Amino acid sequence: MAAPGLFERLRDPSEKTLGVLLLAPAFLLLALIVVYPIGKLVWNSFFDMRLSGGSGARFVGFENYVMVWQDPDFWNATGNTVLITLVTVPGALVVGLGLAVLANLPFKRQWPVRLALLLPWALPLAFAGLIFAWFFHTEYGVVNDVLRRLGLMDARDPAMWLLQPGWGFAAICLTIIWKTSSFMALILLAGLQMIPRSLYEAAEVDGASRWQQFWQITIPMLMPSIVVALIFRTITALQTFDIPYTMTKGGPGNATETLAMLIHKNTIEYLDMGYGSTMAVFMFGLSLAVTAVYLRHMARSAA
Amino acid sequence: MNALSPRSLRLIAAAIVVINGFFPAVWILLTSLKTETELVSKPITWWPHAPTLDNYVRAFSDQPLLRYLGNSALVALGSTALSLVVASLAAYAIARLNLRRRQLILTCIVASSMFPLVTLLVPIFETMRSAGLLNTSIALIVPYTVLNLPVCTLVLVSFFQSIPRDLENAAMIDGCTRLGALVRVVLPLAAPGVFTAGILAFVNAWDEFLLALSLNASPAMRTLPVGITLYQGEFSFPWPIISAALVVAIVPVAVLIALFQERVVGGLTQGGLKG
Repeated sequence: MAAPGLFERLRDPSEKTLGVLLLAPAFLLLALIVVYPIGKLVWNSFFDMRLSGGSGARFVGFENYVMVWQDPDFWNATGNTVLITLVTVPGALVVGLGLAVLANLPFKRQWPVRLALLLPWALPLAFAGLIFAWFFHTEYGVVNDVLRRLGLMDARDPAMWLLQPGWGFAAICLTIIWKTSSFMALILLAGLQMIPRSLYEAAEVDGASRWQQFWQITIPMLMPSIVVALIFRTITALQTFDIPYTMTKGGPGNATETLAMLIHKNTIEYLDMGYGSTMAVFMFGLSLAVTAVYLRHMARSAA
Repeated sequence: MNALSPRSLRLIAAAIVVINGFFPAVWILLTSLKTETELVSKPITWWPHAPTLDNYVRAFSDQPLLRYLGNSALVALGSTALSLVVASLAAYAIARLNLRRRQLILTCIVASSMFPLVTLLVPIFETMRSAGLLNTSIALIVPYTVLNLPVCTLVLVSFFQSIPRDLENAAMIDGCTRLGALVRVVLPLAAPGVFTAGILAFVNAWDEFLLALSLNASPAMRTLPVGITLYQGEFSFPWPIISAALVVAIVPVAVLIALFQERVVGGLTQGGLKG
């Protein structure tokens, strides 16, 4: 039973008590879904958990780490993930910047352009993967149809996009760039709209060309938005899963398998929790490095 | 370049952006209206010759699409409601109370969203399995709530900060408690912010794939992205039905963002740039 004093304190608590009460649910959830799992992940990585269902796990020290380090599948998936990141992050930035500059023109009606940038963002990644898999279909895909109409491809010898390693990889990267560039464009568009018009007017008076204005004013003024957008994009690119999973399922063979897909396969499909967790620890380290860059950037811009 | 008037240049620019954004959705809509014979005829057609709704009927009858819709709606609405409650409380504390280290608290919440979901997947899977929650809505609602905490908190903090403190103080002088002032004065004024955060959370939850695929893969519990991806045809991938199902799954979110586009854009840029 609560003492009357306690009841009064709960009804009109002090600043500090109130703070703790208000923040408690958020931090409890974070502890349950983020902090505890990370600890459990590291713990798992030291055990052989095959066929044990968690109860008869055998402590194996760093054995999993040695095995992961020597696993060609792991390096294949890591290589694919890094390559996807290196291609799609700059790709989305360039396309996103282009879209933002076009969308920033003074249109009479804003909504069609704005909705055109929002729709790819709102579309689930898995759906983007499915739709583009249909685009790149060898027989009935619109991509091969356009190539045929343009005379770039022989109809009897169609490009087998998703069935060949290199082309499959290219198709996946194009899909990711399409899907992610519009969010990039929205962020950059907000940045563009904050650049004072007077800067361009002054440059105009000084006789600067459009091209010079873009490089001397637009890009430097946009830099803060670009850096934040790049870091966020990099973090999500390292986690790439949905689009390759729905387009190729990592195939042919494991030519387009990403690290996230390999971890998912080992843990959820093969139920090899220890081994999969070890790979996840590697991935965790990789994204922690990017997060550290972000936090340092944040601290520097706050100061 | 100089031969084109500014007006036609603008039209070309708008056309590029609009085609880039809408073409995939429009193409899947056109695909869904074609008969199966037309879909596998070569060369392929762009405009359906004999538009039919047959694929939609089959999407609902051959597969439990309605069930997937229900699962997605329940999970998305449930986690949105929960993350709004939790994020409002936290955001109010960060925006209004005299707490030391409030920036650190906000950074902690935001940084938690930067950990790769797939690394959290195994422990979450094990926890849900041992709690007997695999293939229940709760298995997704709780993690989605956490996924949405950072963006909701960021959006709400900036909304709370924009509400004048005097209004709240006046309410407290009139005899409201601090919590009373939060519920009666601050929350109603922050309603647009709560709504914006809610849309962002809803779309995120509606779109999530990896956890839904891993935790709720039993046919009765699949959400839309999982259900449609795992559609199995008798001989091959059933593209006509898939395209119809995709249209059904895209429409609710497309309507939502079309109606509230300004708010969504505002929320996204706030949530993305604030940190």
